[in-house]
Amino acid sequence: MDAIKGFINLFADPRLFFILSVAALAVIVWKREAFSKNVVGYGLLGLLTVFFAFGLLDENFRLIVVKPDNVPIVALIFLVIFFTWYAIREGVRNDRRMAAGDDPIEKDESDRVWVWPDLVYTELIALILCTAILVVWSIGIEAPLEQPANPANTPNPSKAPWYFLGLQEMLVYFDPWLAGVVLPTLIIVGLMAIPYVDTNPKGNGYYTFRERRAEITIFLFGFLVLWSSLIVLGTFLRGPNWNFFGPFEYWDIHKLEPLTNVQLSDFIWVRLLGQPLPENWFVRELFGIVLTLAYVAVLPVLMARTFRNYYEKLGPARFYVTAMLLLMMLSLPVKMLTRWVFNLKYVVSIPEYFFNI
Amino acid sequence: MADKRSVGHAYNIDFLNVVFAASSIFLFVTTIWMIWDDYDREWKDYQRRFVQLEREVTQASLAAAQAQVDQAQVAELRRELAQAGQEAAASRDQRDALEAQLADVEADLFLTNQEFQSTKAVYDAERYEFEELQEADPERAAGARAEIDEMYQHWLELGLEVERLTARRDDLRAEIAVFTQREVEIDADLRELTSETDRLGTRVADLQPSLVNDLILNAPLLDFMAPTITVRQVVTPQVVEDVNFTRVAKMDRCTTCHLAIDREGYEEYPQPFRTHSNLDAYVGSASPHPVGRYGCTVCHEGMGQSLTFRHASHTPAGEEQTVRWEHDFGWEEPHLWDYPMLPTEMTEASCAKCHRETVFVPEGPKLNRAYGLYERAGCYACHKTRGFEELRRPGPSLTKIASKLEPDWVARWIREPRAIKASTWMPRVWYNSNTNAPEDAVRNEAEIDAVVAYLFANSEEHRFAVRFPRRGDAGRGRELVESVGCLACHVSGDESRLEAGPRRTFGQPLQNIGNKTSFEWLFDWVRDPRHVSPGTYMPDLRLTDDEVSDIAAYLATLGGPEGDAARASFTGADVTGILTDYLRAIVPTDEARATVAALSAEERRIELGRRAIGRYGCYSCHEIKGFEETQPIGIELSEEGSKLLPRLDFAFVHEIPHTKTDWFKQKLTDPRSFDRSRVLQPLEKLRMPDYGFSTEESTLLATAIMSFQSDVQPLASQVPGSARNDALRAGRNLVRRRNCIACHEIEADGGDYRELVDDPGLAPPLLTPEGAKVRPEWLYAFFRDPITIRPWLDVRMPTFGLDDAHWNRAIDYFAAVSESIGPFRTHDAIVEPGVTRTGEELFELLRCQQCHVLDTIPEDQPTDNLAPDLRMAQERLQPDWILDWLVAPLEIQPGTRMPMFWTEYPGSFYPQFDGDAVRQIEAVRDYLLTFRGGPSPLRGN
Repeated sequence: MDAIKGFINLFADPRLFFILSVAALAVIVWKREAFSKNVVGYGLLGLLTVFFAFGLLDENFRLIVVKPDNVPIVALIFLVIFFTWYAIREGVRNDRRMAAGDDPIEKDESDRVWVWPDLVYTELIALILCTAILVVWSIGIEAPLEQPANPANTPNPSKAPWYFLGLQEMLVYFDPWLAGVVLPTLIIVGLMAIPYVDTNPKGNGYYTFRERRAEITIFLFGFLVLWSSLIVLGTFLRGPNWNFFGPFEYWDIHKLEPLTNVQLSDFIWVRLLGQPLPENWFVRELFGIVLTLAYVAVLPVLMARTFRNYYEKLGPARFYVTAMLLLMMLSLPVKMLTRWVFNLKYVVSIPEYFFNI
Repeated sequence: MADKRSVGHAYNIDFLNVVFAASSIFLFVTTIWMIWDDYDREWKDYQRRFVQLEREVTQASLAAAQAQVDQAQVAELRRELAQAGQEAAASRDQRDALEAQLADVEADLFLTNQEFQSTKAVYDAERYEFEELQEADPERAAGARAEIDEMYQHWLELGLEVERLTARRDDLRAEIAVFTQREVEIDADLRELTSETDRLGTRVADLQPSLVNDLILNAPLLDFMAPTITVRQVVTPQVVEDVNFTRVAKMDRCTTCHLAIDREGYEEYPQPFRTHSNLDAYVGSASPHPVGRYGCTVCHEGMGQSLTFRHASHTPAGEEQTVRWEHDFGWEEPHLWDYPMLPTEMTEASCAKCHRETVFVPEGPKLNRAYGLYERAGCYACHKTRGFEELRRPGPSLTKIASKLEPDWVARWIREPRAIKASTWMPRVWYNSNTNAPEDAVRNEAEIDAVVAYLFANSEEHRFAVRFPRRGDAGRGRELVESVGCLACHVSGDESRLEAGPRRTFGQPLQNIGNKTSFEWLFDWVRDPRHVSPGTYMPDLRLTDDEVSDIAAYLATLGGPEGDAARASFTGADVTGILTDYLRAIVPTDEARATVAALSAEERRIELGRRAIGRYGCYSCHEIKGFEETQPIGIELSEEGSKLLPRLDFAFVHEIPHTKTDWFKQKLTDPRSFDRSRVLQPLEKLRMPDYGFSTEESTLLATAIMSFQSDVQPLASQVPGSARNDALRAGRNLVRRRNCIACHEIEADGGDYRELVDDPGLAPPLLTPEGAKVRPEWLYAFFRDPITIRPWLDVRMPTFGLDDAHWNRAIDYFAAVSESIGPFRTHDAIVEPGVTRTGEELFELLRCQQCHVLDTIPEDQPTDNLAPDLRMAQERLQPDWILDWLVAPLEIQPGTRMPMFWTEYPGSFYPQFDGDAVRQIEAVRDYLLTFRGGPSPLRGN
């Protein structure tokens, strides 16, 4: 038993966790035919249930999972997996039908239903069930009064509300102005922009994967890997001092992680060119600034050249907006990778103006 | 394919019906569950159980009260009442007529009064309108004036009528009362007799199971309206809760379950219904701390607002209770509240929140003892603590160590002090749990050796006052040590530190002292401690040189174990390495090496000693040359009790409960244990020394630490500042810090010496009444130069040699304890010969001289009957106190042999002054005050 726990704890490393999430996504997309089988979907839920049941025997695991604040995240894991599987399964089914020359299943169904009972009745049932579940929840899980907030004694770890844990995870890799201001704004703006950018009518009203391959993959990457899995990670695996803890590990406040990250300017000036850092911040950070500008200005143009058919299909305005949003989304995994591989702290670091990228 | 135009169903409606039914039933069941869950709350259950308990207790006290009432008298009164009723019946017709009249008058009065009041209301409204009109349109108003005045007249007439009718009604009532007067009187007597039983009877009736209470008011779901089962809370503006951004009144709901906490009669019932202990001091409505003003959590801590056992942050006392609570209440270590309840044995720590800067709190024996230990162990020397700043260094001065000790003995002593003197307060600095591995021994020995070398290299020369003292008789010395009072401050036998207590370990234990130092040094020290160490607290017992040499001879015979020998040997290279290690921590390595290389071997030894003394803070307790101004090594503890748990590092010590008090106890029991399993360089290790505290000692010291709280409670809750309270605080500290209370009992505390004498009459006197008893000028002179008041006592009042500020503080303190009116009193010495003659008569009659000394000590009396020389009275005693003393000596000094002569006071058995005790006592007093020529401290001052 301890060996299994140790093995699972071993995997609980932010790098492995992230790489495994990406790998899982790749497998889902690539082997979707196999993934959409009932045995896989229900099997996954079953496995997860077994994992939790087995995990609850462990004191440390129980402390984290049964904590009232974290219970919804347990539900989130089950729900996200189920609905991902369900959508893929429906998509795969329709793809199969369409490949055989049939219409999607949804086309067979009538597109008008009665307000009563189909709409109002189901709403009523949903209402009753939600009320009952909330009542049971509030009886079953206490919400005790805690000590008065103390600015001199903040909780450790101090965690954002669960739905912001993905953002909080970004703070590990980015300066607060980026992780807390620019990127969240871009997420909202990006979500608003989707209907204007993505005018492709395919997939409206029915499930499909093949017709929307890129869009679904990008969405799943953003939602599953960069959002949901980071929430799970932030909830269960980030402990005191924002250190990483395996699900069966004791949250020891003394655990240390060496912080040996290096700026890009150190890499270039000191290690590559063998010179001391220039006094002038602009000269010092020149490479980082050029690199950043290239990322946001040159890369979209290169992308336009490379993905010419997309560029033509979308037109310049839509393409560049899409490219920009995509690059911004990818900046997180890019930054993570450079941190893990090169110990890179910041690409541009101008402490003189409290500006870091 | 379905028709796209037609309207279909998205769901199977029959299936939806089933889902709807199932979810409705689910909702219904959860609603019932919700109501039940609310009805079944922990505190409601306690209140339901308490109703039953209260009924039993009230019934029992009703039975007890009934047993007290004289039933025959009640029966007699009842019979008389019945008889009076019968007698009154004879005049029935007359009374009926009067009562009919009264009814008419009362009805009339009611109506008239009603009209009178409504007329006034209408008049007020009309008058306002008229006033407004008059202001706006004077001409129109002139016409309306008559109407207003008329209405006023009408109101006055009605008033007259009301007065007339009231008078008539009262007349009629008086006429009727004549017939029932006897009945009313008997009834009043009866009521007086049975008032307690009636009250309890009503209470019992109220407590009976009631349909309305149980089935309606307290029924599930209906109990939101007017339940009898309710949350009880105390809101206390007097004491506050610190919510970090502001302070708010405490809101304690503890009494919701602890329903009988301030009521007598529930002492034997299990919690939460048990009565609080010591209701006269705590919680009781007549106590200084009534629950309505102070609540509960200001003393006990915990979350006062909470209504569940667990969230109130109850703290169990010990393992067994923890297990039981976990089982019974699902108890968990509280972590949702910064200040969980103190274990009951430590509750007194909270006294210090309001009783600040004092080491004595009345009714707080544990805290007082804890402060005694805190001072004795010298915690304040390394850890700055508010209220303990101006104290002396707890250990002896080491500036003249070479004249007193041998280096080898000092090394053995430092290695393991308790191996030489079991009851010493000197802690073990080396060979503790983080430095007792075999590989630490070389470093330990090198450091011990270096420290000894430093101390001896920095020792001043000391010249003994008598160069070749005569060696006295150890047997007589022993008798002296055991009788003159040495043992009040020193332990000589194998008594443990805990048994002897903080007062009797005030001075160094005398155990094994013969091995420690020489006869010559002991002679020099006992003869005049201040000659050796000007700052010492050891007083002068005014011994003759012969007595001193006997005592020194006796002390020199006290032997014991040799102590621990060195456990490793070391070389000069070890010293060099360790010294370099010390220096590297403050200067670059090369510089450290160069510095060490420039020193000779002996210099290295001494320099290492200096570094080690600096690191371990020896100078905090001992005066050591070269460390006069060095800051102590410990952290400040002034607000340690308010420290938050996350600020305490448990490291790898997981086996103790995760609470502040347990952390402190662990730290005290094994100060270095938090280094366990850690990889640390020698200079990174913890360095608090090991005192070998027992569980009880560490619990008490943790209590003291928990009492050091940040200033949260408002001024209104503190002991108010007044001359008397300031004198009390300063004096209480003084008599403890100079150990007066080792010999004398003051304010029901101290007097430990009594246990060392066979007969309480031979113990040092009780000092509680001192302020009322003696004249301040006499007391001052006595302090400066004590005289023998009771020659039959062996124990002596020493000469302390304190300065005037201290003596005045002591005198003010005694005055404050006695609530004395001040030093100056009117007393006209009455020289009327008649009076003093009567006084003399009584003096002879009462045979005062049988016990009291009057120049000669009465010979036929056992020593415990003897009393001081009455010739001192005039100079020594306050004249008005003598009166109080003669009236009730036992009240002033419980256990005194002084008889109470005026048991019938203010009456008297004795015929003088027509049996007027007051005048008789005054006469005796006046006679006493005519004596002259007794021993006096005032002469020569």
